[in-house]
Amino acid sequence: MSLLHSLAVDTQRRRLIKAAAATAVAGAGTALAFPAIAQAKPFAGLKLRGAAYQHGFFNILRKYIPEFEQQTGMTVDLQLSAFPVYNQQADLELSSGGSAWDFCNVTFILAARWVAAGLLANLSDFAADRRLTPASWNPDDFVKGAQLPYLDKAGKAYGFAWEGGAMLMGMSRTDLMKKRGVEAPQTFDELMKVCEAVHGQDGVTGFVSSNLHHWFLPPYIHGFGGDLFANPPADIKPTLDSAAAVQATAFYSTLLSKYSPQGVLGYTEDQARAALIGGRSNIFIHSSSWVTAMLSSPESKVKDTARVVRMPAGPKGDFPAANSQGLGIPKNAKNKEAAWEFIKWALSPELTARIVKDTGHPSICRRSVIESAEYKRINTINGQDIGKLYLEVLEQPGKTRNYMAYRTVKEFPLVGDVLNKAVERVVSGQAPAADAMKTAQEAALGSLRRAGAKV
Amino acid sequence: MSARGASYEAQRRRFVRLAMAPSLLFLLLVAGLPTVFLLVTSLTPGALVNPGSLGDFSEPLRNYRLLGSDERFVGSLGVQARLSVYTVVLQVLLGTGLALLVHSGQERWQSLRHLFVIPMVLPPIVVAVIWKLIYTPDISPIYQAARMLGVTLPALTTHVDFALWSIVIADTWEWAPFTFLMVLAALQTLPAEYVEAARMDGADAWRVFGHIVLPYIAPVLLVCTLFRLIDSIKAFPLIFLLTGGGPGSVTEVTNYYAYLVAFNFGELGYSSAITVVLLAATVLISWGAMRVSRHAGGAE
Repeated sequence: MSLLHSLAVDTQRRRLIKAAAATAVAGAGTALAFPAIAQAKPFAGLKLRGAAYQHGFFNILRKYIPEFEQQTGMTVDLQLSAFPVYNQQADLELSSGGSAWDFCNVTFILAARWVAAGLLANLSDFAADRRLTPASWNPDDFVKGAQLPYLDKAGKAYGFAWEGGAMLMGMSRTDLMKKRGVEAPQTFDELMKVCEAVHGQDGVTGFVSSNLHHWFLPPYIHGFGGDLFANPPADIKPTLDSAAAVQATAFYSTLLSKYSPQGVLGYTEDQARAALIGGRSNIFIHSSSWVTAMLSSPESKVKDTARVVRMPAGPKGDFPAANSQGLGIPKNAKNKEAAWEFIKWALSPELTARIVKDTGHPSICRRSVIESAEYKRINTINGQDIGKLYLEVLEQPGKTRNYMAYRTVKEFPLVGDVLNKAVERVVSGQAPAADAMKTAQEAALGSLRRAGAKV
Repeated sequence: MSARGASYEAQRRRFVRLAMAPSLLFLLLVAGLPTVFLLVTSLTPGALVNPGSLGDFSEPLRNYRLLGSDERFVGSLGVQARLSVYTVVLQVLLGTGLALLVHSGQERWQSLRHLFVIPMVLPPIVVAVIWKLIYTPDISPIYQAARMLGVTLPALTTHVDFALWSIVIADTWEWAPFTFLMVLAALQTLPAEYVEAARMDGADAWRVFGHIVLPYIAPVLLVCTLFRLIDSIKAFPLIFLLTGGGPGSVTEVTNYYAYLVAFNFGELGYSSAITVVLLAATVLISWGAMRVSRHAGGAE
C-alpha cells in the first residue's frame, strides 16, 4: 500500500514537475515568441498608400494583396486611375515633393524625367541591404532591357519593372497572305510588299497602327540607321531631319496612308487592336500584349489564321522597340521601408511565378520565371512560343547599343509630340516627309531650348 | 442736400459696402487668387520636373518674349480665330432660323422645340463622344450607309480640309440651341400689333422680318453673338476627343496648346503665360461685349 502510495505520490510529483516544466517552457516560449512575432511584423497597423494606372496586372495583384496584408499586418490602399490621369497626378505629386503616396507606378515615358530630377528613392540601396532584402530576391533577375529606364547614370535603380512591352508583329490573315503568295516579312522592303499584296483583298487593309507615332516610328528610324538624338542621353541634339529619319518617316507614312484603314490617324490603340483581332487589318506592329490578343482573346475572329513574329529589320539592323513599367517609391514618401516591403513582395520571383501560373499573365520581367518550363507551356499559343519572342525583344536594347536610350531623355515628351505632328502632316498630305521633318527638327530645337536644354 | 440727407446717404453706402463685402471676398478667394497665382507662375520658368523653378524670377518676361517666336502658339491663335468665327456665325444663323420656324406657329415645329434644346443640356464630354461615334468610319452609321450606297466619305476628323469643320459642326449642334432659346424668348415678347399693322399696310414676310422682327431681336442677337464668342475660346472637350489638335496642328486652338504644354511637356510657367494671354483676350472681348451691349440697350 505504502509502496503503492509512494508510487502514486511519485507519479503525481513527476506529473507536477512535467507540468511545471511545460508551463515554464510555454511561458518562456510565449515571452520569447512575442518579440519574435513583433519583429516579423514591424509595420503592423500601417496603412500603405500607393497609386498606379488601370492595368490588368494590378487587378490581378489586388487578389493577392490580402496575403501580403496578413503576412505584414499592413493594409494597402492602391488607387488606380486612367493612364493619362495617373500620369498628370503623378507628375504633380512627385514634382511638388508630395508625400501622399508610399509607392507609385514609374511610367515608362516619364521615368527618365523623374529619375533625372531626383523625384524617386534609390531602390538599389534597399535591394542591396541584406537586413531588408534576402539575396534570393536578386535584382539582377529583372531583364536588363526592361530595367534601363529606371537606372541613373551610375546604374542605381529607381524602379523595378512589373511589366514589359516588346514590339512584335501580329499578322491576322496569313490565309490571305498565302493566297497572295507572300510570306511573313523579315525586312522593311518585304513588309511593304506584303501590305501591297494583301491590301484591299477580302475587305482587309494591309496595315494598321494607332496615333502613338512617337512609339511606332523610332524602330524604322533606327532600322534606316538614324536616331532621334545625336547620342542620347549624353547629347540630346535632335536629329529628326537626318536622311535616315526622313526615309523612315516616308516609309512609315506610306504604310499609314496607302495600306491602313480610313481615318487611321485618329485610331487609338484599342481601335487598332480591334481591327487586328477582327481580321479587318492584316498587320499591326506593337507591344506583345496588343498583338497576341489575336491568339488569346475570346473576341478574336482570327485565331486560326493569326501569327506573331519579330518585326521586320531595316537595312541597317533590327531594332524592335521595348519598354516597361516600374514600381518605385517617391523621394518624400513617409513609409519607404514599408513601401519597399510591398514592392519586394509584389515583384518577388515567387509571386511572379504564381501569377503566371494562376492567370497566364505573360508580360513579366523576371528572367528566371520567363525562362521556366511553366511560363513556356502557358505562353506557347498555337504552337508559337510567344515567351521566347518576348524575351528576345526585351533583351535586345541591353544586348546591343541601347537604342531605346532616346526614351530615357527627360525632354523626350517634347520631341515625341513634334514627331507625332510630323507624321500627321505627312499622312494627311500637308507636307512631304523631308519638309515635315525639317519643320519638326526646328520645332524640337525651339522646344528644347525653351525648356532649358543646352542644344 | 441737407446734412441729415447726406448722413443718410453715407450710411446707405456703408451698408451697401458691408453687404457686398462677403461676396467680394468670396469672389476674390475663388477667382482672384488663382488668377494671381497664374500671373505669378507665368513669370517663372516653372517646370514640373524642376520644383525650384517655380520660385525663379530671374527673367520674369522670358515666357512672354518666347511666345512671339513660337510658331505653334501663333498658329493656334489663327485656328482659334477661325473656329470662333465659323461657329458663332453658324450658331447665330441656325439658332435664329429655328426660333423663327418655331415662332411661326406651325404645330409640327412647336412640338419639336423641346428636342432642339437637348444638345445644349448634355455634358460636353457626352457631346464629344456622340460625335466621335458619328465621325469614326468603322462604326459610324453614316459611313456605313454611305458605303452601302457605294459612296466613300472622307474621314472628317483626320482630313486636313475637314478636320476644323468637323469641330465646327459638332460645336454648332451643341450650342445653336442657346441662340434658339434666346431668340425664341425675344420673339415671344414681340407685340403682335406691329406685325399686323405692317401686314395691313401691305408688307410681305421679308419686309416684316427686315423692318420689324430683326430690329426687335437685334440686341438679343448681339448678346448671343458675344456670349458664344467668349465661350468659343473655351472649346476643349471636342478637340481633345475628336482630333487631338490634329492632323498636324490644323485644329490646335490656344487653350488646347496650353494644356499640352502644361501636362504633356510639364512646362507650367510657359503654359501659364499662354493662359494669361488667352485670359487677357477673353477679358478684352468681354469688356467690348459689355460696352456694345450697353450701347445697344441705350439705343433701344
